[in-house]
Amino acid sequence: MDMRILLQRTLRAIAGFSICVALAAQPAPPKYDPVSVARGQQAFVASCGFCHGSRAKGGEKGPDLLRSVVVLDDENGKGIGRVILKGRPDKGMPKFAMTEDQIVDIANFLHQSIYSAADRDSYQTLNIVTGDASAGKAYFNGAGNCGSCHSVTGDLKGIGAKYEPVTLQDRLLMPLDFGPSASTKAVVTVTVTTPSGEAVSGPLLWIDDFTVALRNSQGTYVSFARKSDVIPQVEVHNPFKPHSDMILHFSDAEIHNLTAYLVTLK
Amino acid sequence: MMTKQLLLFALLPIALGAQILDPVVLTKPATDAWPTYNGDYSGRRFSTLNQIDQSNVMHLTLGWVFRVRAGAVPGAIVGGEGPAPVEGGPPNPDLSTIKATPLMVNGILYFATPDNAWAVDARSGHELWHYFWKTKGGIHIGNRGVGMYGNWLFFETPDDYLVSLDARTGKERWHVEIADVKQEYFSTPAPIVVGNHVLVGTGGDSLDVPGFLESHDPETGAIQWKWWSEPLKKGDPGSETWPDEYSMRHGGGMTWIPGTYDPELHLYYLGTGNPNPVLTGRGREGADLYTCSIVALNVDTGKLAWYFQPSPHDTHDWDAAQTTVLIDGLFEGKPRKMLAQANRNGYFFLLDRTNGKNLLTAPMVDTINWSKGIDANGQPIPNPDKEATISGVLVSPPSDGVTNWPPPSFDPDTGLFYVGVKESFSEYYLTDTDPHPEGYAAAEKYITSYGGSLLAIDYQTGKTRWKHSYIFGGGPIGILTTAGKLLFAGDGLGHLLAFDPSNGSILWHAGLSDDVSNGPETYMLDGHQYLVVGAGDSLYAFLLE
Repeated sequence: MDMRILLQRTLRAIAGFSICVALAAQPAPPKYDPVSVARGQQAFVASCGFCHGSRAKGGEKGPDLLRSVVVLDDENGKGIGRVILKGRPDKGMPKFAMTEDQIVDIANFLHQSIYSAADRDSYQTLNIVTGDASAGKAYFNGAGNCGSCHSVTGDLKGIGAKYEPVTLQDRLLMPLDFGPSASTKAVVTVTVTTPSGEAVSGPLLWIDDFTVALRNSQGTYVSFARKSDVIPQVEVHNPFKPHSDMILHFSDAEIHNLTAYLVTLK
Repeated sequence: MMTKQLLLFALLPIALGAQILDPVVLTKPATDAWPTYNGDYSGRRFSTLNQIDQSNVMHLTLGWVFRVRAGAVPGAIVGGEGPAPVEGGPPNPDLSTIKATPLMVNGILYFATPDNAWAVDARSGHELWHYFWKTKGGIHIGNRGVGMYGNWLFFETPDDYLVSLDARTGKERWHVEIADVKQEYFSTPAPIVVGNHVLVGTGGDSLDVPGFLESHDPETGAIQWKWWSEPLKKGDPGSETWPDEYSMRHGGGMTWIPGTYDPELHLYYLGTGNPNPVLTGRGREGADLYTCSIVALNVDTGKLAWYFQPSPHDTHDWDAAQTTVLIDGLFEGKPRKMLAQANRNGYFFLLDRTNGKNLLTAPMVDTINWSKGIDANGQPIPNPDKEATISGVLVSPPSDGVTNWPPPSFDPDTGLFYVGVKESFSEYYLTDTDPHPEGYAAAEKYITSYGGSLLAIDYQTGKTRWKHSYIFGGGPIGILTTAGKLLFAGDGLGHLLAFDPSNGSILWHAGLSDDVSNGPETYMLDGHQYLVVGAGDSLYAFLLE
């Protein structure tokens, strides 16, 4: 077998690089003054919610205001205020007597609602724990063969208290983002064997078609030119191979059951 | 109409006199020019040049580097509707990343990044002019370059203007608004010029707005026609694939990657983006035409001639906007006019481009898990169990797809279609349970990738002839093939590589200061074949020693 193919097959077993850091993403801070938004929401629900819905997404009579061009084009309540104060008699909307401050609050509530709908990084997952914990436990100890590496009284002790369920679920699939990143460098190792037979092993720091680099046992950075597919020989060792293998075969129900079980490990 | 178009091309060189770009150049394969986004209208990104070949490619050497300085820097010509940019603060790398394929006409390169456009001497890499657009906002994720008509250049801005510049000076001629940035439209495509049509698309996923393609007059900027990605009212063709008019008027279908054109059929081919809301199908039950579709439009009228939908009722953000590559060759032993697309959803599609009939659908990678098979029309059948749920579903590919916008290439000498892919998984979590969800409506958590690869696909079978895999690199990457029996592409790890397109052997490479970020291009100038590639904030020009 061509060594390049052998190497590639070995490496394909490694979960490769990651282009985003979704696991670490934090919700974006509110764009509009939260106190004003809260006041605006209260005023909106009281005066406008009956027609436009309490979330402003439209009701039986009034349109969805989160998709309204009037609202999208509005600056600090000026455009919205005109409609509130004058109404839209042709469409059956009465006029409302409101102060400028009240209108600004309502505008801020609407603009924040639009911002929240548009900004996917701020989306919050709901209660994702819907699986069967006992089925998850059976899978953990049986078909999943998780016990070959993990122990609920050892490395996984208290893991249900350590992570939010959604993080737990994502990490049970793959414990870390792979790539030429610090976390990968800490766990993936490589052995490089030169034509003279000298073998050097250590954390993998870089690999492409032309160079492979590692940190040797003395803690020194060492890089080798890759002159051909086999010179030098390169063998990569990935401790998370069982996870990358499992991802190809997991059913969603098995994942949900495992999550339900792991969250019980408080 | 055909006669009129030919007549137009025949008269233009005389009418335009000594204009920089003779429109005839656009209708034939480029050699001493790169006059449109893909080099020519076919989207093949195959050059007939062969001065650089397998025997001498190892002697390629760096001719020059041009590093962009984006923003209101001294000497920039400043336009735009927005406020003056704030001084200081960290520079935004998106403004300096070159995703455009520069045009090369009469020894000058023309290209753009978000809010910026340049003319650069193709011999020396010296800047001739720099235009900066003061923005009103919008997502500044990228810009795919400029279009050219005679002496006029056209580019789009993140705040949704079409701007026309005089190529000789960089001075603005006019600008027209093409969409409302407050509705979260943002515009990245390179305008494509066909005859006297400047074809302009747009993007925007966040607020459930409809997509469109517009044709503008190159002299005045006036709209000639506008094609909407969705039917406008109940009863129109395609409206039966939506529950109501409200859903189709908020249905997405963005037009953010330049299309291709067949002058004989007079058809402009374009892939459209995903439907909205993006990650759930609630509120838009049905196939959601013409989102996630390959469409053929009459270039003079914007009327739809045919469509094919690679992702019916998409719920994973898999735009079908990828380059529609025109192939003339054999299929099942007979010569055909075809169209190929390597789709973000993981499948390779081959169509008859005279009528849109599917000839072949084949998975490009092994990991894709969202479809229940291929139907009689060649469309993948979505598995509803892989639509986002509150508890999460594990799906390959993630929303950014098996491949994406970086341009693929078709080499008629090898008969192979080349595309950069990656095999990855995400969990999709439903976050908006409203009967009428909005925006994305679900959160995506990226799980892992099994690495990126460069694939060589036999267009006649859909089978992969060879595959070059990377551990940490690869993925969707721009590609160029040439008659010198060479394939140029980046590896996502800071290198530009030359491959043997017949078997994937690496013949040459150069280390750059960043990853290749656009599609490589080539042209003849002063008897030298140049290879030009963008990597991060710099253009690199290579030629033989």
